[in-house]
Amino acid sequence: MPSAVPSTNDASVPAVEVQGLVKKYGQVEALRGIDLSIRQGERFAFLGPNGAGKTTLFSILATLRAPSSGSARVLGHDVILERDAVRRKMGVVFQEPAIEQRLSGRDNLLLMGLLFGLPSSLARQRATELLESLGLADAGDRPANQLSGGQRRKLELARSLVTDPRILFLDEATLGLDVDARRGFWTQVRTLAASGRTVFFTTHYMEEAEVADRIALIDAGHIVAVDTPRALKARLGGGVIRLETEDVPGAWVWLAGQGFEPEGTDTEIMILHPDPAAVLPEILRQLPMRVLRAEVHEPSLEDVFLKLTGRGLAGEVPGPAQDGPARNPGGPRR
Amino acid sequence: MIRGMYAILLLDMKRAWLDRARLAAGLAQPLLYLFVLGAGLGASSQLGAGDYRRYIFPGVVALSLLFSATFAAIVIVFDRQIGFFKAILIAPVPRAAIAFGKIGAGALQAFIQGVIVLPFAPLAGIHFGLLATLELLGAMLLAATTFSALGVAVAARFNSTTVFPVVSNAVLLPMFFLSGALYPLSKAPHWMQMACHLDPVAYAVDLMRGALLGRFFFDPRLSVTALVVMIALLGWAAVRVFNRGEDDSSLGAARFNWRR
Repeated sequence: MPSAVPSTNDASVPAVEVQGLVKKYGQVEALRGIDLSIRQGERFAFLGPNGAGKTTLFSILATLRAPSSGSARVLGHDVILERDAVRRKMGVVFQEPAIEQRLSGRDNLLLMGLLFGLPSSLARQRATELLESLGLADAGDRPANQLSGGQRRKLELARSLVTDPRILFLDEATLGLDVDARRGFWTQVRTLAASGRTVFFTTHYMEEAEVADRIALIDAGHIVAVDTPRALKARLGGGVIRLETEDVPGAWVWLAGQGFEPEGTDTEIMILHPDPAAVLPEILRQLPMRVLRAEVHEPSLEDVFLKLTGRGLAGEVPGPAQDGPARNPGGPRR
Repeated sequence: MIRGMYAILLLDMKRAWLDRARLAAGLAQPLLYLFVLGAGLGASSQLGAGDYRRYIFPGVVALSLLFSATFAAIVIVFDRQIGFFKAILIAPVPRAAIAFGKIGAGALQAFIQGVIVLPFAPLAGIHFGLLATLELLGAMLLAATTFSALGVAVAARFNSTTVFPVVSNAVLLPMFFLSGALYPLSKAPHWMQMACHLDPVAYAVDLMRGALLGRFFFDPRLSVTALVVMIALLGWAAVRVFNRGEDDSSLGAARFNWRR
């Protein structure tokens, strides 16, 4: 196998560099020109609704798909021309399970080690180390299908680490896990990032995106913003009022008439204001239609996404995770 | 390349070991052909039941190899369907190592399945010496590899475990019936004698029958060459599909060529 180009071990080489990336599936354009540069050691989140193109970009970086045009490099290696070099340096956790459920965790790690080119004694040793460091030492010898969902996800993480990769790609890695298991998973990822690995992950859980150094918001195949979580939220300034009312269009018109700038969806109005708490009481008193729900909060990434794209992150309940009785998520939308 | 093949082979054999009950169940089909179909058809053939059973024995072994080799390939479809195959595709090994690792694993499973049919040979009235056994095992290994390559090349193109068996049966049965496993090709209609030249099962059956009974329809050198060429072509076809990675399977993606 050819040896790595020396320059790619240089810390100044971007972990990921993407230029003009386009991916078409027949007539459908999943990615419409993505430009992106990620530094080594960054924790980088890709946030967007389902179908925005996250997984497509992910698959291209993980050498599973080829772009229709444009280029992508991982740690200096072209994802098409130098696929094997990229593969040797990356670890990947997929949305779907990628361990053989009927074999033990140890067997899975051992086989993946062999497949990634480790001699069998080293693969065995690596499997033991990983099981211990991820807290799976006891569970590692049971068939994977007897483990809890959280343990299985950790096993996926362990699988991605057999070759000691310098960059980790995680695609919706905690989908379907409960809050505790998710927290446990991210604690491990933070430890890995602290040792200088680059972590690139896609998610549609906002609180997961918050741990990133930088976030790219993606919608319909475009990147709409790339920044730190704090800077993204600062773009909105002040705070956010969210209102659910009867007759949303009527409320919209009334608010606009009062000099506010309402935004949001068909079911919910969002108002950005430098001092929301001061104006909300007056709005509630004067608004000529019944208010079903009102809320004031610091801007969230959800708000930023709403502001930039005019829609919410699909599959996610906007705002804090409390379901008000007046909510009717399955109701008709205009 | 070798280590990658070995890892794939080991993975598939470990999983096959979990399904070892299949070996016993897999005996049912060949024994049914040998003792039920063989008795029924043999009684009304010019050969008589005993000779007919002897005649079809190699064909029945081939049947066993054919079905178990293609069935082994279904794990590829299953792995694609659940996403496990992606973990294999991102390994820094040549796609040929994946294809031939899979082919080797399927061939080995089929070979084992075929070997456990052999103890029934005396019941079918066949007795053979050491040399014939070695020839037979060699032919079986070559046949199992060909059928496994066929299974892998076809399975690589499917990502639905409900469609693949239907398609593979639609391919396997004609190949089996054209092969001369159940009747002599020398007495078959002209078009069949022509068509069987394209049928890997025909060459495999003929090699095995030659080893056991000393009667060949094809020149054995032609049979060996034909099977080796087919393994190479089918392996190459599988490599081509694996090269396309995920672009081939999900989202109904159109065929995408790795340009540049």
